Amino acid sequence: MDNVRYYDIRHVRGSATHVDIDNGVVESAGTSFYDQAVVRVLGPQGWGILTLENFDPDAPCDRLIARALELAAITGDEVELSDAPQRGVLPVPKASEDPAGVSLEEKTELLSSIEGAAKLTGIVNTRARYAESIEEVRFVDSSGCEYSYTIPRCGFSVVAVASRNGEMQMGRESSYTIQGLNLRHKQEMGEKAAQTALALLDAKAAKGGRMRAVLDPELAGVFAHEAVGHASEGDLIREGNSVLAGKIGESIGSPLLTIVDDPSLPYFGFEPVDAEGVAVGRTELIRGGRVNAYMHSRQTLAAVGNGFAGHARAEPGEPPLVRMSNTFIEEGDASYDEIIAECRNGVLLQGSRGGQVDPGRGVFQFNAEYGYIIENGEIGTMVRDVSLSGDILGTLHAITLLGNDREMHEGYCGKGGQSVPVSDGSPHVLLEDAVVGGNGTD
Amino acid sequence: MCSLKMRWWVAMELIDAILRAGASKADEVEVYISEGESISAEMKRDRIENAGGSKGFGIGIRVIVGGRIGVSSTANPNDWEVCLAAALASARLAHPQEWGGLPCPAPLPDAPQINDATLRLDAATPRSICREMLAGAAEHDAAVTGGSASLARGKVTIANTSGLLYEQERTSTGCSLECIHERSTGFEFDASPFMDLNPHRVGEQAAFFAEHGAGAGEIATGDYDLVLSPVALSQFLGYVLEPALSGRNVHAGRSWLAGKIGETCIGEEISVFDDPSRRGLGSTRFDAEGVPARKITFFDHGVLAHYAYDLRTAYRYGQESTGSAVRDGPGGAPAIGVHTMVIDGPRDTVDDDRAVYVNDIVGAHTANPLTGDFSVELSNATWIEDGEFDEPVRSAMFAGNVFDLLGAVAAIGREERIVGSAILPALRLNKQHLIGK
Repeated sequence: MDNVRYYDIRHVRGSATHVDIDNGVVESAGTSFYDQAVVRVLGPQGWGILTLENFDPDAPCDRLIARALELAAITGDEVELSDAPQRGVLPVPKASEDPAGVSLEEKTELLSSIEGAAKLTGIVNTRARYAESIEEVRFVDSSGCEYSYTIPRCGFSVVAVASRNGEMQMGRESSYTIQGLNLRHKQEMGEKAAQTALALLDAKAAKGGRMRAVLDPELAGVFAHEAVGHASEGDLIREGNSVLAGKIGESIGSPLLTIVDDPSLPYFGFEPVDAEGVAVGRTELIRGGRVNAYMHSRQTLAAVGNGFAGHARAEPGEPPLVRMSNTFIEEGDASYDEIIAECRNGVLLQGSRGGQVDPGRGVFQFNAEYGYIIENGEIGTMVRDVSLSGDILGTLHAITLLGNDREMHEGYCGKGGQSVPVSDGSPHVLLEDAVVGGNGTD
Repeated sequence: MCSLKMRWWVAMELIDAILRAGASKADEVEVYISEGESISAEMKRDRIENAGGSKGFGIGIRVIVGGRIGVSSTANPNDWEVCLAAALASARLAHPQEWGGLPCPAPLPDAPQINDATLRLDAATPRSICREMLAGAAEHDAAVTGGSASLARGKVTIANTSGLLYEQERTSTGCSLECIHERSTGFEFDASPFMDLNPHRVGEQAAFFAEHGAGAGEIATGDYDLVLSPVALSQFLGYVLEPALSGRNVHAGRSWLAGKIGETCIGEEISVFDDPSRRGLGSTRFDAEGVPARKITFFDHGVLAHYAYDLRTAYRYGQESTGSAVRDGPGGAPAIGVHTMVIDGPRDTVDDDRAVYVNDIVGAHTANPLTGDFSVELSNATWIEDGEFDEPVRSAMFAGNVFDLLGAVAAIGREERIVGSAILPALRLNKQHLIGK
């Protein structure tokens, strides 16, 4: 077909296994199956994209390509693709214990022991959920690039609800991984969720305002993801929808600050190869406080430059988008005690209930699970329902200390209706001037 | 021009086969088949970058064996035996519960207006919707960063071993546009079961908010009267109120509304319903388990009247299903949800007296679903007075509690719009706390 400049087919089959235990009752446990393919054809201008179930990889695909090409006829954008000389698939890290080799009965028992550990006095509800997906990916494109791999992802969450005199609070712990079954010897996470819920019953509502804030590794990781990661995505840069567009080389934060996205690391956002068959690797988004590089697909690299392809990811049955994978703030050299002492008066924010950003406006918001008032360099009263918002271009200058204790935390990131597994991480960081939200009054 | 023709899969033989094979091994079997097709166009800046066509298919199988409920699903009709085996295995693991049987055939309410039989999935239509949005956006000084238009058609079939067999078709259309002017962004969308979108207005509003927000001033920390747009309201309702109304969360001790039936929980003039007879995207004649859909009064003039139940939760706690089962896409298992959330009370103008109009909020999903406490960032906030937008507010955090907020409603707007599966008005709220910069 003359007008086809490029095509690719990404076919994902797999199984999804879940266990849901609610207050000691196995509500639901089982396995479902999916099978989805996306056929992308680059016509004279833009893309035609077909999404279908039960694709037959052995059948000729001329008819599908022709149909996608017909769709492409309504496009008017001038899409070009960069060369992608870096090809190759990393080995999927070997699982410590293959989740597929453990029976659903045993997984249910293990999850039940974690859920049971959350039943402390004062806890009125406990719920634990296990989720596992085993994904078999095949990719082929018109240049003959072809690969396949299988990746298992699994993990669990446990939630405890504490209640007293009509007040309710909850604690949540979770852990997800690509490195094999992670359900054994995790009862302490159930207990921790319960202890958080119980402690929150005595916490005060946070009082909002401007103050110094210390973010724990989990929340600072969400900060890196929301405040910098999304605004460094090549598609948003191309569309003029990011405050970081045109800022390569500019200083936007403390010289201490380096922020990286790296899908090749064996955390939850790991990809052995990107969704366009491009090799994955480390991209330093911010280096020494300066905007250093953007994350790209082949299309956005050709349009924007200043960065690297290999960041295209796709939910099964969806076309690839420029996405983060494992995003983190590099360590500094301060100890945790130094950071708390240096903060003197402010708030320590811990854990994450998620966040959101408007990258064009440069405004982000995210919420901690709880926090502590810091008074005279000492940890004080616990506070609840505390959030943080700010300006991407202002807040990064406010980072004045970076800890030496980086940790990664796992989650899912939504964009364009697609959800992909990611990890975020950071050491403890000190923000000199943060806008903290809460509905406390005194 | 490309046109994807509808070819509904002939599912009856498949359903029969699954029900017959399942009935030999389980007390009861339910099959839920979901089929859909869509066509879409997506703009990057002001040009269509891609056009998409999709076909979806899913079979969900549920079996009940001695009060143990098992589920599985598959996208592949040829794999139904594997799927049935997985559902039976799933039932062996689940704890048994009180179970009174899958529903028998029953009279259904009249079909709501959810299906546009004339809708054609022709790629020329999303293209012309995009053009109309661009024409609307040209009325203001703002650059388009992206947008999309889509048309979809779907059909569900549900059958069980109690002889129930229902089918329902629905259509949906939608479009959205994003604009930017300097560092101010604007977003607007429209959605409907029918081909009656107003793309020109979508484009005009997105560009208006982008242009209007540029050069906005700050606001001091304090208490303000607010007007919450239907979009901002839907976020609070979706992330906090809906889960709090779920019978499962109520009985599990995960809802602030537990034990409060008969109490005044929100504003005394406010009533909240699930009304699946309305012309909405989630409206339906029967729920995802085949129970006839009906109007449920959650709050009657502020008084909590009902929770939402599916069969499983109703049987377990000695209640009646409210026909509130929904499924999350093809192959999803049934769970408690709301088909078409509506809110009612004395209608008035909401924007005569000076107030801060909140077009949208950032971070509603970080609200505390148990207590309703939230602190979110405002998006496209602007002063409003005498129905006219006045100077814009650059940024502010809004901190409060969703249940308190529904107790502070001063007026309910006269106009409503479809937001997701809800149909909502704007609300005027007295004295809400904003944290300025």
